[in-house]
Amino acid sequence: MERRFQRDLSSLPELSRFVEEFLSRQGLAPSNAYDLDLILEELFTNVLKYSSGTDEVAVRLTRDDSTITIALSEFGAAKAYDITLAPEPDLTRPLAERPVGGLGIHMVRKLADTIRYEYKDRVSTTTITKKVSPNA
Amino acid sequence: MLEIQVENEGRVRLKGRLDAASAPKAREALRPLKGPMALDMSDLEYISSAGIGVVVETYKRLHGEGGGFRVLNLRPGVRAVFRYAGLEQMFAIE
Repeated sequence: MERRFQRDLSSLPELSRFVEEFLSRQGLAPSNAYDLDLILEELFTNVLKYSSGTDEVAVRLTRDDSTITIALSEFGAAKAYDITLAPEPDLTRPLAERPVGGLGIHMVRKLADTIRYEYKDRVSTTTITKKVSPNA
Repeated sequence: MLEIQVENEGRVRLKGRLDAASAPKAREALRPLKGPMALDMSDLEYISSAGIGVVVETYKRLHGEGGGFRVLNLRPGVRAVFRYAGLEQMFAIE
Protein backbone atom coordinates (compact mmCIF):
# COMPACT_ATOMS: atom_id res chain seq x y z
CA MET A 1 0.00 0.00 0.00
CA GLU A 2 1.26 3.45 -0.81
CA ARG A 3 -0.15 6.84 0.15
CA ARG A 4 0.97 10.44 0.03
CA PHE A 5 0.73 12.78 3.00
CA GLN A 6 1.03 16.54 3.37
CA ARG A 7 4.30 17.57 5.00
CA ASP A 8 2.58 18.80 8.11
CA LEU A 9 2.12 17.61 11.68
CA SER A 10 -1.61 17.47 11.08
CA SER A 11 -0.95 14.38 8.89
CA LEU A 12 -0.02 12.25 11.94
CA PRO A 13 -3.55 10.93 12.66
CA GLU A 14 -3.87 10.02 8.97
CA LEU A 15 -0.54 8.14 9.11
CA SER A 16 -1.81 6.19 12.09
CA ARG A 17 -5.05 5.31 10.27
CA PHE A 18 -2.98 4.18 7.27
CA VAL A 19 -1.05 1.76 9.52
CA GLU A 20 -4.29 0.47 11.04
CA GLU A 21 -5.78 -0.11 7.58
CA PHE A 22 -2.64 -1.90 6.39
CA LEU A 23 -2.57 -4.27 9.39
CA SER A 24 -6.25 -5.03 9.00
CA ARG A 25 -5.92 -5.76 5.25
CA GLN A 26 -2.93 -8.01 5.95
CA GLY A 27 -4.74 -9.81 8.79
CA LEU A 28 -1.97 -8.81 11.18
CA ALA A 29 -2.47 -8.21 14.90
CA PRO A 30 -3.49 -4.62 15.81
CA SER A 31 -0.89 -4.86 18.60
CA ASN A 32 1.75 -4.29 15.90
CA ALA A 33 0.40 -0.77 15.35
CA TYR A 34 2.35 0.90 18.17
CA ASP A 35 5.82 0.11 16.83
CA LEU A 36 4.87 0.93 13.22
CA ASP A 37 3.20 4.21 14.29
CA LEU A 38 6.28 5.16 16.28
CA ILE A 39 8.73 4.40 13.44
CA LEU A 40 6.60 6.35 10.97
CA GLU A 41 6.06 9.34 13.26
CA GLU A 42 9.78 9.63 14.02
CA LEU A 43 10.75 9.36 10.32
CA PHE A 44 8.01 11.77 9.27
CA THR A 45 8.77 14.44 11.89
CA ASN A 46 12.44 14.12 11.04
CA VAL A 47 11.62 15.02 7.44
CA LEU A 48 9.64 18.05 8.70
CA LYS A 49 12.58 19.18 10.86
CA TYR A 50 15.55 18.62 8.61
CA SER A 51 14.52 18.57 4.97
CA SER A 52 12.97 20.89 2.49
CA GLY A 53 11.44 18.89 -0.33
CA THR A 54 8.05 19.22 -1.99
CA ASP A 55 4.74 19.41 -0.15
CA GLU A 56 4.12 15.68 -0.07
CA VAL A 57 5.79 12.68 1.54
CA ALA A 58 5.09 9.18 0.24
CA VAL A 59 4.79 6.21 2.59
CA ARG A 60 4.82 2.64 1.31
CA LEU A 61 4.01 -0.35 3.50
CA THR A 62 4.62 -3.85 2.20
CA ARG A 63 4.68 -7.28 3.77
CA ASP A 64 6.70 -10.39 3.08
CA ASP A 65 5.57 -13.13 5.47
CA SER A 66 6.32 -11.79 8.95
CA THR A 67 8.48 -8.86 7.80
CA ILE A 68 7.01 -5.42 7.19
CA THR A 69 8.87 -2.94 5.04
CA ILE A 70 8.25 0.76 5.62
CA ALA A 71 9.58 3.18 3.00
CA LEU A 72 9.26 6.92 3.42
CA SER A 73 10.19 9.08 0.43
CA GLU A 74 10.60 12.80 0.16
CA PHE A 75 10.64 14.37 -3.31
CA GLY A 76 12.65 17.34 -4.50
CA ALA A 77 15.04 17.04 -1.55
CA ALA A 78 17.88 19.54 -1.97
CA LYS A 79 20.34 17.29 -0.13
CA ALA A 80 20.66 13.85 1.42
CA TYR A 81 19.66 13.27 5.02
CA ASP A 82 20.88 9.82 6.00
CA ILE A 83 19.58 8.85 9.44
CA THR A 84 21.98 5.90 9.58
CA LEU A 85 24.79 8.47 9.93
CA ALA A 86 23.14 10.47 12.74
CA PRO A 87 24.99 10.32 16.09
CA GLU A 88 23.50 8.34 18.98
CA PRO A 89 22.34 10.33 22.03
CA ASP A 90 24.21 9.55 25.26
CA LEU A 91 21.44 8.13 27.43
CA THR A 92 23.75 7.47 30.36
CA ARG A 93 24.12 11.20 31.09
CA PRO A 94 21.91 12.74 33.79
CA LEU A 95 18.73 14.26 32.37
CA ALA A 96 19.74 17.80 33.24
CA GLU A 97 22.86 17.49 31.06
CA ARG A 98 21.31 15.77 28.07
CA PRO A 99 21.03 17.79 24.89
CA VAL A 100 17.63 17.97 23.24
CA GLY A 101 17.14 15.92 20.07
CA GLY A 102 18.36 12.70 18.57
CA LEU A 103 15.90 10.61 20.56
CA GLY A 104 13.53 9.94 17.65
CA ILE A 105 16.22 8.37 15.48
CA HIS A 106 17.44 6.38 18.49
CA MET A 107 13.91 4.95 18.85
CA VAL A 108 13.78 4.02 15.16
CA ARG A 109 17.10 2.20 15.59
CA LYS A 110 15.76 0.36 18.63
CA LEU A 111 12.66 -0.83 16.77
CA ALA A 112 14.00 -1.53 13.27
CA ASP A 113 15.62 -4.76 12.15
CA THR A 114 17.29 -3.03 9.20
CA ILE A 115 17.59 0.59 8.07
CA ARG A 116 18.61 1.59 4.56
CA TYR A 117 18.94 5.03 3.03
CA GLU A 118 19.03 6.15 -0.60
CA TYR A 119 19.30 9.58 -2.21
CA LYS A 120 18.83 9.56 -5.95
CA ASP A 121 17.45 12.11 -8.43
CA ARG A 122 16.51 14.39 -5.50
CA VAL A 123 14.37 11.65 -3.95
CA SER A 124 15.35 10.88 -0.37
CA THR A 125 14.15 7.46 0.83
CA THR A 126 14.54 5.76 4.19
CA THR A 127 13.57 2.08 4.22
CA ILE A 128 13.02 0.14 7.42
CA THR A 129 12.27 -3.54 7.90
CA LYS A 130 10.58 -4.86 11.01
CA LYS A 131 9.49 -8.35 12.04
CA VAL A 132 5.92 -8.43 13.34
CA SER A 133 3.58 -10.86 15.09
CA PRO A 134 1.71 -12.67 12.34
CA ASN A 135 -1.53 -13.56 14.12
CA ALA A 136 -4.51 -11.23 14.19
CA MET B 1 -6.08 13.35 20.11
CA LEU B 2 -4.99 14.16 23.65
CA GLU B 3 -7.02 15.04 26.73
CA ILE B 4 -5.41 16.52 29.81
CA GLN B 5 -7.22 16.57 33.12
CA VAL B 6 -5.76 18.42 36.10
CA GLU B 7 -7.02 16.83 39.32
CA ASN B 8 -6.47 17.40 43.03
CA GLU B 9 -3.14 17.03 44.83
CA GLY B 10 -0.99 17.51 41.76
CA ARG B 11 -2.37 14.58 39.79
CA VAL B 12 -2.54 15.17 36.03
CA ARG B 13 -4.27 12.56 33.89
CA LEU B 14 -3.27 12.16 30.23
CA LYS B 15 -5.65 10.40 27.86
CA GLY B 16 -5.14 9.46 24.20
CA ARG B 17 -2.00 10.12 22.16
CA LEU B 18 0.95 12.30 23.12
CA ASP B 19 2.68 12.71 19.77
CA ALA B 20 4.41 15.52 17.89
CA ALA B 21 1.02 17.01 16.96
CA SER B 22 -0.34 17.09 20.53
CA ALA B 23 2.94 17.86 22.35
CA PRO B 24 2.49 21.68 22.15
CA LYS B 25 -0.95 21.36 23.81
CA ALA B 26 0.54 19.20 26.60
CA ARG B 27 3.45 21.60 27.06
CA GLU B 28 1.07 24.55 27.37
CA ALA B 29 -1.15 22.75 29.89
CA LEU B 30 1.72 21.52 32.09
CA ARG B 31 3.91 24.63 32.08
CA PRO B 32 1.92 26.72 34.63
CA LEU B 33 1.55 23.81 37.10
CA LYS B 34 3.66 23.62 40.24
CA GLY B 35 5.06 20.49 41.87
CA PRO B 36 4.75 17.99 43.30
CA MET B 37 3.17 16.44 40.22
CA ALA B 38 2.01 12.90 39.48
CA LEU B 39 1.48 12.30 35.76
CA ASP B 40 -1.09 9.52 35.49
CA MET B 41 -0.73 7.68 32.17
CA SER B 42 -3.26 4.88 32.70
CA ASP B 43 -5.32 6.19 29.73
CA LEU B 44 -2.38 7.22 27.57
CA GLU B 45 -2.34 4.90 24.56
CA TYR B 46 0.73 6.23 22.78
CA ILE B 47 3.77 8.40 23.33
CA SER B 48 6.57 9.27 20.88
CA SER B 49 9.92 11.05 21.34
CA ALA B 50 8.07 14.39 21.09
CA GLY B 51 5.89 13.38 24.06
CA ILE B 52 8.93 12.16 25.98
CA GLY B 53 10.41 15.62 25.38
CA VAL B 54 7.44 17.24 27.17
CA VAL B 55 7.74 14.81 30.11
CA VAL B 56 11.49 15.42 30.47
CA GLU B 57 11.04 19.18 30.19
CA THR B 58 8.40 19.10 32.96
CA TYR B 59 10.62 16.92 35.13
CA LYS B 60 13.58 19.28 34.69
CA ARG B 61 11.50 22.36 35.52
CA LEU B 62 9.90 20.88 38.64
CA HIS B 63 13.16 19.34 39.78
CA GLY B 64 14.81 22.76 39.40
CA GLU B 65 12.03 24.35 41.47
CA GLY B 66 12.45 21.70 44.16
CA GLY B 67 9.09 20.05 43.47
CA GLY B 68 8.60 16.29 43.14
CA PHE B 69 7.67 14.54 39.91
CA ARG B 70 6.33 11.04 39.38
CA VAL B 71 4.95 9.12 36.41
CA LEU B 72 2.20 6.60 37.15
CA ASN B 73 0.47 3.63 35.51
CA LEU B 74 2.28 3.25 32.20
CA ARG B 75 0.79 0.87 29.65
CA PRO B 76 3.27 -1.63 28.16
CA GLY B 77 3.80 0.24 24.84
CA VAL B 78 4.34 3.55 26.62
CA ARG B 79 6.66 1.92 29.17
CA ALA B 80 8.75 0.51 26.29
CA VAL B 81 9.25 4.03 24.91
CA PHE B 82 10.41 5.24 28.35
CA ARG B 83 12.86 2.33 28.36
CA TYR B 84 14.18 3.14 24.85
CA ALA B 85 14.66 6.75 26.01
CA GLY B 86 16.74 5.54 28.96
CA LEU B 87 14.29 7.07 31.45
CA GLU B 88 13.33 4.05 33.52
CA GLN B 89 16.13 4.67 35.99
CA MET B 90 16.08 8.46 35.79
CA PHE B 91 12.93 9.35 37.71
CA ALA B 92 10.15 7.71 39.71
CA ILE B 93 7.94 5.52 37.51
CA GLU B 94 5.27 3.63 39.41
